[in-house]
Amino acid sequence: MSRDNHGREHPYIPEIKNQLLKGEIDRREFLRTVTLLGMTATAAYAFADTFTGPGIIKGAQAQTPKKGGIIRAAMQVQDMSDPAVYDWVEKSNVSRQMVEYLTITGPDNVTRPLLAEKWVPSDDLKTWTLHIRKGVKYGNGDELTADDVIYNFKRWLDPKTGSSMVGMLNSMLDESEGKDKDGKPMKIKVMTPGAVEKVDKYTVRIHLNSPDLSIPEKLYHYPAAIVHRSFDEKGANIAKNPELGTGPYTLAEYRVGEKAVLKRRGGGFEYWGEDPYLDEIHYIDTGQDSSAALAAVASGQVDTIYSLDLTLLGAAQNMPGIKVLETTTAQTGVMRIQSLKAPYDDIRVRQAMQLAADNQKMLDIAYQGRGQVAENHHVAKVQPDYAPLPKIKRDVAKAKQLLADAGHGGGLNIECNVGNTNGQWETDQVIVLKQNLAEAGINLKVNIMPAAQYWEVWTKAQFSLTVWTHRPLGTMLLGVAYRTGVPWNEAAYASKEFDDLLTQAESTVDMNARHKIMAKVEKRLQDDAIMIQPYFRSVMTVSSEKVKNLAVHPTNYHQWHKVWIDS
Amino acid sequence: MVVLISKRIGFMVITMFVVSVLLFLALEFSPGDVATKVLGPYSSEESRQLWLEAHGYFEPAWKRYGIWLGKFATGDFGDSVRFKVPVSEILWPRLWNTAILGFWTFAFLIPVSLALGVLAGMREGSKLDRVISVGSIITTSIPEFASTVFLSAIFVFTLRWLPGTSSMSSGFEFKQLILPVLVLFIYDFGYVARMTRASMAEVMTTPYIRTAILKGLPYRQVILKHALRNALIAPFTVIMLQINWLLSGVIVVEFFFAYKGFGALLLEASLNQDLYVIEACAMVAVFVAVTSQTLADIGYTFLNPRIRFS
Repeated sequence: MSRDNHGREHPYIPEIKNQLLKGEIDRREFLRTVTLLGMTATAAYAFADTFTGPGIIKGAQAQTPKKGGIIRAAMQVQDMSDPAVYDWVEKSNVSRQMVEYLTITGPDNVTRPLLAEKWVPSDDLKTWTLHIRKGVKYGNGDELTADDVIYNFKRWLDPKTGSSMVGMLNSMLDESEGKDKDGKPMKIKVMTPGAVEKVDKYTVRIHLNSPDLSIPEKLYHYPAAIVHRSFDEKGANIAKNPELGTGPYTLAEYRVGEKAVLKRRGGGFEYWGEDPYLDEIHYIDTGQDSSAALAAVASGQVDTIYSLDLTLLGAAQNMPGIKVLETTTAQTGVMRIQSLKAPYDDIRVRQAMQLAADNQKMLDIAYQGRGQVAENHHVAKVQPDYAPLPKIKRDVAKAKQLLADAGHGGGLNIECNVGNTNGQWETDQVIVLKQNLAEAGINLKVNIMPAAQYWEVWTKAQFSLTVWTHRPLGTMLLGVAYRTGVPWNEAAYASKEFDDLLTQAESTVDMNARHKIMAKVEKRLQDDAIMIQPYFRSVMTVSSEKVKNLAVHPTNYHQWHKVWIDS
Repeated sequence: MVVLISKRIGFMVITMFVVSVLLFLALEFSPGDVATKVLGPYSSEESRQLWLEAHGYFEPAWKRYGIWLGKFATGDFGDSVRFKVPVSEILWPRLWNTAILGFWTFAFLIPVSLALGVLAGMREGSKLDRVISVGSIITTSIPEFASTVFLSAIFVFTLRWLPGTSSMSSGFEFKQLILPVLVLFIYDFGYVARMTRASMAEVMTTPYIRTAILKGLPYRQVILKHALRNALIAPFTVIMLQINWLLSGVIVVEFFFAYKGFGALLLEASLNQDLYVIEACAMVAVFVAVTSQTLADIGYTFLNPRIRFS
């Protein structure tokens, strides 16, 4: 009967179990995949523990947690009206405590149920049935139902909203005729009619045009918070209407640029899940100067910070009573190249740039070696779908030859934009590249601009460095960043072959088969030479000793549910 | 006096008008798309166009300037792009915070620097003069961005006596004001002290002071009654100029200590291309500059009745 209680087991799960037993896949990949296919995390961990021994996550909580207390975090407090159009994780970190997601991906890269108590994919991965948790209440007392979920899906996929979820849920979209600003016809993507279906009050079924294994992970993408169905009606502003979320906290105080105070919801609100330990979460804006945030920790004004700037690592390590927390991620600074205009329309120029670039040196100098060297295709080793490719060695002579063939034997002047949107390491990285390229006769001008100005040009510039955050899967990132026509495709990359391969990878459950496709996907990107992507960086934060059970999330998402203060 | 004041005010209005035109033109030609700033980098082209139209961006520039000036004169500075609230809601509290910072800086700066300057200038070349002069040169030559780091390293990271940031997030706390005031004080007091010293030293060599001393007046009376009033004219101008300096000089200090004041607001507005905030901040800065100069001019006439503006 237990299988009935848990629903039907996906036919592929026995196969994955078998692969784990044979050692073809590792524990992490096993956990990730079976939970995505609908197995509960508890059952998955139990199965994995039986054969591979317990992982590191268990037993991390040695002390008994204490309830109550306030955590204070230094982080920029930005305007956070509409979750669907968020472009900064900081915005979502404040709203994340008020508005929840259908799923939740932990620091261990495993996705678990949240507002959806379970999900059942069809065998072909093209239909996903989401079972909405019963008894979940919004802050205004309304129960969460299928209508709310459908409302959010429609909102994300409406081109008028301008949400980056469009790139994530590409398989729910059709191309349609629209108009640009001058009234000329242009192709726009709209939701496929019938892509979201209400089965009953607590069940939503989504229909995809192509199979996609990573739907549960995509539902934890930071703009995918589930707001109440009256969100637009009330003015689409979660800061003004925190009751339109199901999270345990409400917004008690909120001043952009200064402070956000979240308090446990009162007024008889009953949180559906386990109550978090913390009574209050305070976000204190210490501005854009990262040393101010560290100074605030040093003097006990805050307990933790959003992210530790690399330049301050040395200082942080020497502070008594302060812990430095670090995790390996798929975060990176991509120096992407638009191949639309000269000189970059000649692939030999782009190849020469890649060959002259010294990725290891950029990691060592610009990021103090804290990360993993990458291979110019934007898929990281920490992502389970990474497939190793043959190593390409740095070859300055060959780069020179390619440049000469392309008619730039006498030297080439190019420019790279950098906005330091994440830190000084971005400029340092471009400066190391400048030295690398100089060896091949390329003169790179580094164009440093303020962060805000950078966001004006990030999709328009020919050659520039953009910071990309972590995604649990390589395919998820490639889908938003390199698929033809998606809004964040800053390299203006358009390759039918790549798109098809990516879609194929997204729809392949068999991990060995998927690795083979991913190898082709990565090779395609590498061969088209549309980026110099030297390394994946670690992210770090600091916290005072009294903060317990805090783990750095690879995307800097703040999950305070299990954090407590030992005062 | 009435003529003087009304002339000064008229001059103020003209200056501000000219500045407003220049400012409007500068921002008109600055790079970047306002709609993208307001709606975010990932907004759709359609929504950007709608926003531009709704906010009158398709009107000619002169018309927009007229509307802007009209609203500005009535206290409506427009909405901040970053904060999504009317600029006046942010500007006045921020300006007030900077006024608090400025008040405490001057509260220490003026008495200390005047006293030291007078002491040094009274006996030019004395040991005391040497100590004060060298000391003030040293402090003035350390830029604020350096002294913020030095002082933080000592008082925040090593001794752990003082808070590292001054965001006043749980209400006003004087302790948080100590480091910012100290940095501004250290940077500026030497300058005012040196000006006072020079002025005092000059006065001390004038014939009327020599006469006063020679006719047997007590030294204290010579200084207090005869020398000081004349010696204070130059420092008075300098101090009035420090009000202007403070408005821009606080940028470094406020940014470093995360103090939510006018300087930090101006810097962040510039970094985020928050147009209306930049405009309002610049106009406030000009207003303060012109007003403080007007007050200085009026102040002269009291300090030195020989000065008359005609």
